[in-house]
Amino acid sequence: MIVQAIAFYLFAAIIIASAVMVIAARNPVHSVLFLILAFFNAAGLFVLVGAEFLAMIMVIVYVGAVAVLFLFVVMMLDINFVELRQGFLNYLPVGALIGLILMIELIFVLTAGTVTPVVPAATGAPIPAIGQVTNTEALGAVLYTRYIYLFQASGMILFVAMIGAIVLTLRSRDGVRRQDAGKQTGRTRAESVEVRKVAPGGGV
Amino acid sequence: MIESRLPDFMTALPEIWLAGAAMLLLLIGVFRGNGGTRMVSWLAVVAIAVAFVMVAVSPAEREVTFAGMFVSDSFAKFAKELVLIGSAATIIMSLGYIRREGMERFEFPILILTATVGMMLMVSANDLIALYLGLELQSLSLYVLAAFKRDSLRSTEAGLKYFVLGALSSGMLLYGCSLIYGFTGTTNFDSLTTLFQGDAQAGIGLVFGIVFLIAGLAFKISAVPFHMWTPDVYEGATTPITAFFAAAPKVAAMSLFVRVLISPLVGVAAQWQQVIVAIAIASMLLGAFAAIRQTNIKRLMAYSSIGHMGFALVGLAAGTTDGAQSVMTYLAIYMVMNLGTFAAILAMKVKGEMVENVSDLSGLARTQPMLAFVLAVFMFSLAGIPPLAGFFAKFYVFKAAIDAGLFTLAIVGVLASVVGAFYYIRIIKVMYFDEPGDAFDLPVAGELRLVMTVTGLFTLLFVVFPTPILAWAQGAAAALIP
Amino acid sequence: MIYVLIVFLPALAAVLVGLLGRRLGDRASQLLTCLAVTASALLSLVVFFDIALGSGEPQRVQLLTWILSEELRVQWALYVDTLTAVMLVVVNVVSALVHWYSIGYMDHDPHKPRFMAYLSLFTFAMLMLVTADNLVQMFFGWEGVGLASYLLIGFWYEKPSANAAAIKAFVVNRVGDFGFALGIFGIFFVFGAVDFASIFQTAPNVAGKTWTFLGMQLDILTTLTMLLFVGAMGKSAQLFLHTWLPDAMEGPTPVSALIHAATMVTAGVFMVCRLSPVFEYAPDTLAVVTIIGASTAFFAATVGLVQNDIKRIVAYSTCSQLGYMFMAVGLSAYSAAMFHLFTHAFFKALLFLGSGAVIHALHDEQDIRRMGGLWSIMPLTGIMMWAGTLSLAGIPFFSGYYSKDLIVEVAFAGHGLVAQYAFWMALIGVFLTAFYSSRLMWMTFHGPARAEKSVMAHAHEPPLVMGIPLMILTLGAIAVGFFTHDYFTGHEMQEFWRESLLVLGDHDPIEAAHHAPLWFKFVPLGLAGAGIALSWYMYIRNPALPRRIAETNWPLYQFLLNKWYFDELYDLVFVRPARWLGRTLWKGGDGRIIDGFGPDGLAAMVGNLARRAGQAQTGYLYHYAFAMLIGIALIVTWFLVAG
Repeated sequence: MIVQAIAFYLFAAIIIASAVMVIAARNPVHSVLFLILAFFNAAGLFVLVGAEFLAMIMVIVYVGAVAVLFLFVVMMLDINFVELRQGFLNYLPVGALIGLILMIELIFVLTAGTVTPVVPAATGAPIPAIGQVTNTEALGAVLYTRYIYLFQASGMILFVAMIGAIVLTLRSRDGVRRQDAGKQTGRTRAESVEVRKVAPGGGV
Repeated sequence: MIESRLPDFMTALPEIWLAGAAMLLLLIGVFRGNGGTRMVSWLAVVAIAVAFVMVAVSPAEREVTFAGMFVSDSFAKFAKELVLIGSAATIIMSLGYIRREGMERFEFPILILTATVGMMLMVSANDLIALYLGLELQSLSLYVLAAFKRDSLRSTEAGLKYFVLGALSSGMLLYGCSLIYGFTGTTNFDSLTTLFQGDAQAGIGLVFGIVFLIAGLAFKISAVPFHMWTPDVYEGATTPITAFFAAAPKVAAMSLFVRVLISPLVGVAAQWQQVIVAIAIASMLLGAFAAIRQTNIKRLMAYSSIGHMGFALVGLAAGTTDGAQSVMTYLAIYMVMNLGTFAAILAMKVKGEMVENVSDLSGLARTQPMLAFVLAVFMFSLAGIPPLAGFFAKFYVFKAAIDAGLFTLAIVGVLASVVGAFYYIRIIKVMYFDEPGDAFDLPVAGELRLVMTVTGLFTLLFVVFPTPILAWAQGAAAALIP
Repeated sequence: MIYVLIVFLPALAAVLVGLLGRRLGDRASQLLTCLAVTASALLSLVVFFDIALGSGEPQRVQLLTWILSEELRVQWALYVDTLTAVMLVVVNVVSALVHWYSIGYMDHDPHKPRFMAYLSLFTFAMLMLVTADNLVQMFFGWEGVGLASYLLIGFWYEKPSANAAAIKAFVVNRVGDFGFALGIFGIFFVFGAVDFASIFQTAPNVAGKTWTFLGMQLDILTTLTMLLFVGAMGKSAQLFLHTWLPDAMEGPTPVSALIHAATMVTAGVFMVCRLSPVFEYAPDTLAVVTIIGASTAFFAATVGLVQNDIKRIVAYSTCSQLGYMFMAVGLSAYSAAMFHLFTHAFFKALLFLGSGAVIHALHDEQDIRRMGGLWSIMPLTGIMMWAGTLSLAGIPFFSGYYSKDLIVEVAFAGHGLVAQYAFWMALIGVFLTAFYSSRLMWMTFHGPARAEKSVMAHAHEPPLVMGIPLMILTLGAIAVGFFTHDYFTGHEMQEFWRESLLVLGDHDPIEAAHHAPLWFKFVPLGLAGAGIALSWYMYIRNPALPRRIAETNWPLYQFLLNKWYFDELYDLVFVRPARWLGRTLWKGGDGRIIDGFGPDGLAAMVGNLARRAGQAQTGYLYHYAFAMLIGIALIVTWFLVAG
């Protein structure tokens, strides 16, 4: 158990530290790299509680896709981050104050409050014992049955996101050459090759 | 051992139909290109009409499905019908506009459809997660719609602002949901209801959760202090979209608000009542005062909607079934008035340009007396002058507040509505008593005339036939507390 | 039905002509109103013969319910008994004659329909007043005639003096009306009713009871009747509240004849007579009424001696004659007062309309010092006006003789200091009246012509439409007293008045007056003759004498010429302090405090708040996000601290 405890505190400490660095780092590329580090450690925490599926999804989706996308965006867009930070510093005192107040209050709440009411267990979905089925299997079993509504609603959201991205960014520009397979294969010899007689010494 | 039964889908038939229709229409749109926008739009209206029929014929009894996450009762029915009417009217009103402004793209009606699906999920939500997903589906569609005119700087700015602030509010909402879940162990409304029955005292942590949840919802109905996006987004977005923002999503979000607070959380009303009173007062006052100096009609309407949501919250603050009934009545009347007002705004063009400033309305009464009259009716109604519908809307919420003993709230509300009357009536003054400027373009499109006629008649005749709406709202409110 | 027609025909005409006058045209408007009022007048005569002279019972016609609130029940009803019938005849006959006369008099005025509508409106209000069966309806008519009087005095609204006079009349009347209204409140408070029948029934029970006001024990009925009498003083231009009447002569002359001689100003007398069953139980009030009446009779007569404006002289004489009426009322001789009211209406209207004819003939000249010698040009008018003058002076067998002499005799027969005072004042008044009224005649019609030649050349007898009303009035001034004195104050008195007037049994002043010694009948006659003779001597025989007298008694002359300095006194005591107070409250109280914090301050505050609310909308995302965060932090903190 002590190993687990040590691992937990290690992961947790690294997450918080790297989260701070995400905000604090001067170079945006560094920020994203710290973010990736935080994700990795979060995945570690998931493994620690036996949620290996989530841990892997974390690594694949967040690290592999989202964070790398961020990285590309940050590197490809020429944004002057120093300028953006100017405003950040202006608002830091107020923001810090609000953050502090909220944090104190939350600490107060979390320490003072007990988890008061306990809901009858029947309303929650039954959770199979860890040893019996794998994470993946358990999730798969409820995802399309019990939680199909939420699953489909999320699907709709992604669908809208896709439409939105296309609507807002896709432009049909003139002069852009696109590959048209039908056109390519439909070409005949007659329209692409012409045989000419070239007079000697005259050129084409 | 692992539950693998399929839930009952029929309860959510209108939503499933509408979502399917949205995808189908998207396919049609893709194949037909932007030239098919008009057809897609009308098909979308047809799809909404079909959904409306499905909602209307669905049983009024409470039905719960999808593991208790989705509920269909007469409250949901009422709200859904309002939402569907609002969405259909928006699509109809926008037809001429998007063609003229060169933004005729088939995604436009599709996004309105998806937003409508989101709103229907919201009002049917019976679980915090379902609530969140419905809200996000709706919001995401709205973000895109706000930025829809992507070549316009203002429109994209509006979309971006809305998106960023919406994300912030979603964060708050989720945080609130987490706290509630953390302190109760459930996200299901029915479980929460049983939990808070009797003389349950919500712990401080739970109250925190509720406050954050309220903050997230307040953002959606643009109540003070979570209203800041409203004027900028209303002004920046294209006018039909603004009309849409002002109508259906407000109804959906407010209905959701009512359901969350009255149904599962009514047992702890003492805790949330003060928050609602505070934001209601702040909204009414800000809506009244800030609008006075606005020169842009859309911005003015933004403040107007802030104020009106404040008035609706007055009914909610009562925390009773009567209060819920008054809020639902308010929403119905509010939506109709807003649709009518925006139809009138859309109908006004000078030399092909949309009229956006209050001063441009000068002398409208002389150049287009009918239009001016209709707009005057809506303005009087929004100001709450009897015997127009807007008066009764306010009357019922104030009555509910007084019955609940919230006298201060009612008095502040009446005062705010006096101040608010100033800017509504100023518009009438400009229309009727100022020297006419440039002539307005004729003729007004048929769709707009249709919307204005229907909404105008509703506003004028509500005093004669109030019973259907009132009875309808009463049934809806009664469904909240089993 | 007939009663409803009498009252509402003028109203109908007023409304029609008032609203559609321009559409109808001048001629149609004039005819419409004249015919309506004439019809009303004829019907009034029918009623008079039925109820007053015949055996008809008093009638009460219920029209509508006006106010129903707990104890307060007010009906719209017409109540007609002898008293009302007399007033109906006076009001409608004079009004009809004035209507016709106005066609000629207002010939050159561009606003004829408006004028006729006002006249008819006045007639209607006056009829409502006299037919009222309760105090509230009477108050309605009371205010209605006040309004019509205001409108008609200020009819020539281009003239600043006319406007000022109209406002003055209105304001001075307001003082009286305030008393009247308080009296009505008090009556309702004490009697629990405002209709006459209930009041009269309860009055004997209330007599002698007292109430405490500011620590003083006051007799209830005395207080109430005093308050009501204040109203009567205002309307009837009695001393202290008389200042508006002479100024009211700014209005067109027919108005003066109708409102400020024959009808409205007598409303006060009528009201006291109507309420005689209440006043009878308040002897102290009656004493005050006598003193005020006698003083007014004397005061107005003295002022009339030196005035030079033809209409003002007649106005002061009106004031003086009203004083006689109140004197009679105060001595419980209500029938004598009503009789004098009746005859006075004829000869005073005649005098006014005759003056109007003179003014008309001389192109709006009103100063008698620039008249004279008109006898040769307009003898008919002269004869008619002489008839009026002799009637006013109380020369036997003219109408005025019967009524006025009776009042003097009543005062003579009365007991006590008050009656003594009244008697002496009345006697002096008789002499002065004869003097100033004949002075007017001498100066106007006789002696050398002092007007400019061109004006005299155009002078002419009035046209028929003005002449015929004058002739009818002349007949009245000469004969009406002779024919009716038996009914009003003579043997037929009991059958004539029946229940409409109440005189408590132990003293009947009329009876006492009839027993005055025979020689006394000649005293007023002698004084009147002396007055006429003296004025003839001073203004025809020896025209330089008046100036000499004036110069030797310069302060007295100035005193009289300036109407005892009442206007100046009021200006000093009431007008200036009131104006100062008003100005202070306006500038300081209203402008600085109420407007400053109220409308202006609020408006500025709203504007300020609106600007700030607008400024908060900076357009920066940061700010918006911070607003949300600050908001949630505030709410959460609030919960932690408060909850």
